[in-house]
Amino acid sequence: MTTKSIGRLALLVVVLLGLGACGGRNGSATQSTRSATTMTLYTCVSDSTIQPVITAFEKSDPGSTVDLFRAPTGQLNARVAADTRSGGLRADVIWGCDPLTMQAFVEQRLVGGWIPAGADAIPAQYRTGNYVGAQLLYMVAVHRTTVPAPRSWSDLAGPGYAKVAVPDPTVAASALGALGWFAANPDYGMDFYRKLKSAGAVQVSTPDDVTTGVAQGIYDAGMTTSNSAYAAKKDGSPVDVVWPEPGAVAIYGPVALATHSAHAQVAKDFITFVTGDAGQRVIGASGTYPTRPGVPGPTIPTGAPIVHPDWTRIGTTKAAIELGYKQVFGG
Amino acid sequence: MSAEPALEVTDLVVSYDGTTALDRVTLSVRRGQVLALLGPSGSGKSTLLHAVAGFLVPAAGTVRLGGTTVAGDGRPVPPERRDLAMVFQNYALWPHLTALDTVAYPARRSGAGRAHARTEALEILERLRIAGLAGRKPAELSGGEQQRVGLARALARRPSLYLFDEPTAHLDTHVRGVFLAELVARQRDTGAAAVYATHDAEEALGLADQVALLHEGRLLQTGTPQQVYDQPADLFAARLSGPASVITAPDHDGGELLVRPGWARLGGPLKGELRAVWFRGPHSDYLVAGPLGELLIREPGPPQHEIGARVGWSLLRSWPLP
Amino acid sequence: MPRGTPRLLPRLTALVVAFLAVLVVLPLCRLVLVVWQEGRADIAPMAGSDGLRTAVWHTVALAAAVTLAAVPIGVTMALVLRRSDLPGRPFWQVAVLVPVLVPDFVLGYSWTQAYARAGFTDTLLGLRWAGIQGPLGVWLVLVVNAAPLVYLVVAVGLAARTEPDLERAARVSGAGPATTLLTVTLRLALPGVAAAAVLVFVLTLGTFAIPQVLGAPAGFSTVTTRIYANLSLGGDPTSFIEAITLALLLVIVAAVCVAPADALLAPRLRAVRGADTQGIPALPGRRAVRRAEAFGLAGYLFLTVALPLTALVLSSVTRALGLPPTPGNWTLAHFREVLTPRTFQALGRSLGLAVVAATVLVLLGALVAVIERARSGRAAATLITLTLVLPGSTLAVGLLITYGRWLSGTLTLILLAYLAKLWAFAHRPIAGALDRLPPDEMHASRASGARALTAVRTVALRPLAPALLGAWLVCFLSALHEVTMSSLLYGPGTETFAVVVLNSQELGRIGPTAALSVVLSLLVTVPAVLLFLAVGRLRPRPSRPPEHLPLEVARVG
Repeated sequence: MTTKSIGRLALLVVVLLGLGACGGRNGSATQSTRSATTMTLYTCVSDSTIQPVITAFEKSDPGSTVDLFRAPTGQLNARVAADTRSGGLRADVIWGCDPLTMQAFVEQRLVGGWIPAGADAIPAQYRTGNYVGAQLLYMVAVHRTTVPAPRSWSDLAGPGYAKVAVPDPTVAASALGALGWFAANPDYGMDFYRKLKSAGAVQVSTPDDVTTGVAQGIYDAGMTTSNSAYAAKKDGSPVDVVWPEPGAVAIYGPVALATHSAHAQVAKDFITFVTGDAGQRVIGASGTYPTRPGVPGPTIPTGAPIVHPDWTRIGTTKAAIELGYKQVFGG
Repeated sequence: MSAEPALEVTDLVVSYDGTTALDRVTLSVRRGQVLALLGPSGSGKSTLLHAVAGFLVPAAGTVRLGGTTVAGDGRPVPPERRDLAMVFQNYALWPHLTALDTVAYPARRSGAGRAHARTEALEILERLRIAGLAGRKPAELSGGEQQRVGLARALARRPSLYLFDEPTAHLDTHVRGVFLAELVARQRDTGAAAVYATHDAEEALGLADQVALLHEGRLLQTGTPQQVYDQPADLFAARLSGPASVITAPDHDGGELLVRPGWARLGGPLKGELRAVWFRGPHSDYLVAGPLGELLIREPGPPQHEIGARVGWSLLRSWPLP
Repeated sequence: MPRGTPRLLPRLTALVVAFLAVLVVLPLCRLVLVVWQEGRADIAPMAGSDGLRTAVWHTVALAAAVTLAAVPIGVTMALVLRRSDLPGRPFWQVAVLVPVLVPDFVLGYSWTQAYARAGFTDTLLGLRWAGIQGPLGVWLVLVVNAAPLVYLVVAVGLAARTEPDLERAARVSGAGPATTLLTVTLRLALPGVAAAAVLVFVLTLGTFAIPQVLGAPAGFSTVTTRIYANLSLGGDPTSFIEAITLALLLVIVAAVCVAPADALLAPRLRAVRGADTQGIPALPGRRAVRRAEAFGLAGYLFLTVALPLTALVLSSVTRALGLPPTPGNWTLAHFREVLTPRTFQALGRSLGLAVVAATVLVLLGALVAVIERARSGRAAATLITLTLVLPGSTLAVGLLITYGRWLSGTLTLILLAYLAKLWAFAHRPIAGALDRLPPDEMHASRASGARALTAVRTVALRPLAPALLGAWLVCFLSALHEVTMSSLLYGPGTETFAVVVLNSQELGRIGPTAALSVVLSLLVTVPAVLLFLAVGRLRPRPSRPPEHLPLEVARVG
């Protein structure tokens, strides 16, 4: 009788687990029976951009479908790392948010070795032989409307701002890009961060946290991405956006082909599409900055200065830069 | 003996969420006396003890201990400042303390040092002949042993009034008698008063100087054990205070008579049929049915008649029920 | 069930061991293996780094400090709230639990909105607290977050282990209220207090969102924030290995704390009490004291719950951050953003997933509670507590590495992750309730001809119902809120509600996230209240329904 009871209990558990798996089976079913025209995309690009891009691609290339895994960079990295240790990368294309992470994937031979033929239409600072930049972020200054607008980055370290927020470069690649650029620039260097710190600046986690804090009024100004700053301004928060001298720091999001893609053709088609004119227009229309010159995108004030970090150098000196930074901001 | 009673309860009313648990109860206990509170479960015995101990605040009425008002007049005195001790039905031994520390607890609370309190506690345990259990925790004691420790803890308090809340209810029959004798002896030694709550009439009648019958929160009757047994106030009181038969009065006035088992004898002019016989060891009980009703007759020795036999009986005494 | 038949217990144990192996042991072993194979060389220099030592020190010190403060607060709550004569008691019993309903990332934010520069108190009174963004703020918010948990565990312990007569005996032996509290009540509640302390300590070791939101501005790093940083900026294998190593380090720290505590406490936790035992206090108190207690409680809850959460609700309806929350700036836009057709689809999936997870978890929790009564089963309870400390991302990575080959992107894998992460949450309250089930009731049922499971169903289920329901609700709620693991494990067609919402606007946009919390809280509160009413009706003694129910229904862990 106990055997019967335990059998029933086990049955119940199995049934419940089975119930849980139901939805999952649909997922695996699509995976196993999918045609050669279905590819998997791993990305950290925001949903509002990636969804229209996928829709447009599937329309332009009938019969192809894109299975999407979208997550913040941290989760994306963890997923890739876990994939490689359990049967290999499941993505056919990775579309990252910063070149550093992508370069690491290249070095692990997970992606790269191919870029589309039309890639030279994208400016050279946004591509390598292994990946091509498809979209951009700009690090700009955000400030409350109650304080004067900074003209240059160095103004933030000046007396007009009681509290300035900077994003953590050990957490956000965009912040690391900015740090790399400042560190390499003779007019700024690590001294800039030292001055910021002594003027009372604090480090928060991500650029979004900077925007949130400035909008809330906890900080007077800060360094953040133009997208999040303009979004806050558009919502009605009492903030304004400045592209300071000597320039907003550009961080490009590269797209790359997986080295062992089982669906290489549709994957290549996808990369060609998103770096091509049509795909770039969709990106621009969705509120993200395209990399192709001449394609309309979100606000860039006329004559706004833009600077480009040397990603190769940042990649090789990352540890030293972070160490110098940590001596200033701790953590 | 001082003039003030050890305990004096006047017009005590206790109610929980709208229902009245005690309704204008008045009683008093003199020093050195034992009052038995006799009543079925739910009659308010525990409630009365809790009100006396200070575990609950009465809605009306007063409680006086040795002449001092502890409830009913201004702020109630908290239990720890009332001159009394209690033995609980469930023993209420603290699972984390050894028997020795449990008994030393009251002395510690009245300011004695640990060593002194323990010495005193050990003396009490010795007096109760359970010094060997001093190092044990409640989980390692039998029911009888636990209740002895509970009694020792109450003794350690050296109060003027003991409250016993059905202390033998959970004890085996053979332990029960021994424990009861011990309890009464110790309490009498101290010269203090006691209130003893029980639902067992034999226990109440055997140990008390006074018996108070409780029913549904009301006092039915108070008196000496003999008064309560011989002259119960009503049928309920009669049933509560011992085995009782009720028959129609033979002198055709239609009244009802209470007959205790020893108040009638087999053999005599009255006729009846034997319905049941119980052998009780020292005596036997006979249930006799006749025109006047059914009654229980107790005779010494083993059963003398078969069930169904026609027997004669005679009535020695009776108590007319109101 | 408390004492199964000799044949049943080994079988149940085998079942639990199987689940443990699948959910906890295998994934952990895979992680250890990965570190061993790929990162042996990196461990030594990593362990020697100053940053790591600081982070470990911060983490352990924070966990200890939070435990030290949250335990007295939670114990005080439990003691005050068991007073049936406390004015407004049913309300307070629910109110103290509110912090549990809100995701901690949102809770951390709501505190800055209430007390930081330009927050509520600053705007209205010119009072602000700069320290809110720093170690002190992290500590305080974590304490407020952990106190309800302590309250729940200790309240269960008080109900199970302190008979009123034990306190009455102390009072009548000459002990005043304070002495009785110290020498009897608290001594008896000690196993529960210790269990709560262990739980809070372990949870704080693994906490991430609040240190991240409030600690970063002061450069306050913990092991979990370092794990996050490593994964965020770590396309390279070294930082991935470092992240896993850190997570395993947390597990070791937790194991070192939990295993001895469980071994010491488990036998003492098992006490047998009568069925009618109630955690009510022995004596009535003075009205003035009760009123003062209610007043103190009200003040505490106003400052720690009401004010921050008002800030939260207001930001869910205010157009943009930094605008005054006046009706002119009110909008339902955030709710519209959260509630799109796509999110409704995902919501259906999440609800299903959460229901299945909660149901299986209650079964698993009950199983462990049963088998740990035997010596052989005790290690199981310790093992499942360890997953509590494992950061969600690491646990998900472990599961993905172990089962990704077959289950990548399926709901089954997400379900496995929920089961592993929340098992301890289901187990602790059920174990507490099982303590109160007198074995004789089960024996009587078996002696009346019931089989083991029938006896459980007919006799044990009713008294255990509130605890089971509470465990179910907590698991359901946590599964519904869960985002870290699901956002790493989902695949096409298996996005959960939280994943869809957070994907559509990244973490950090407060308005929609606040709206999400409000929606999820309502989603949980409404059925919880209905269930509470239903259970209230099921209670055998209708004369005193408000005595313990609210507390048991929402009990956490």
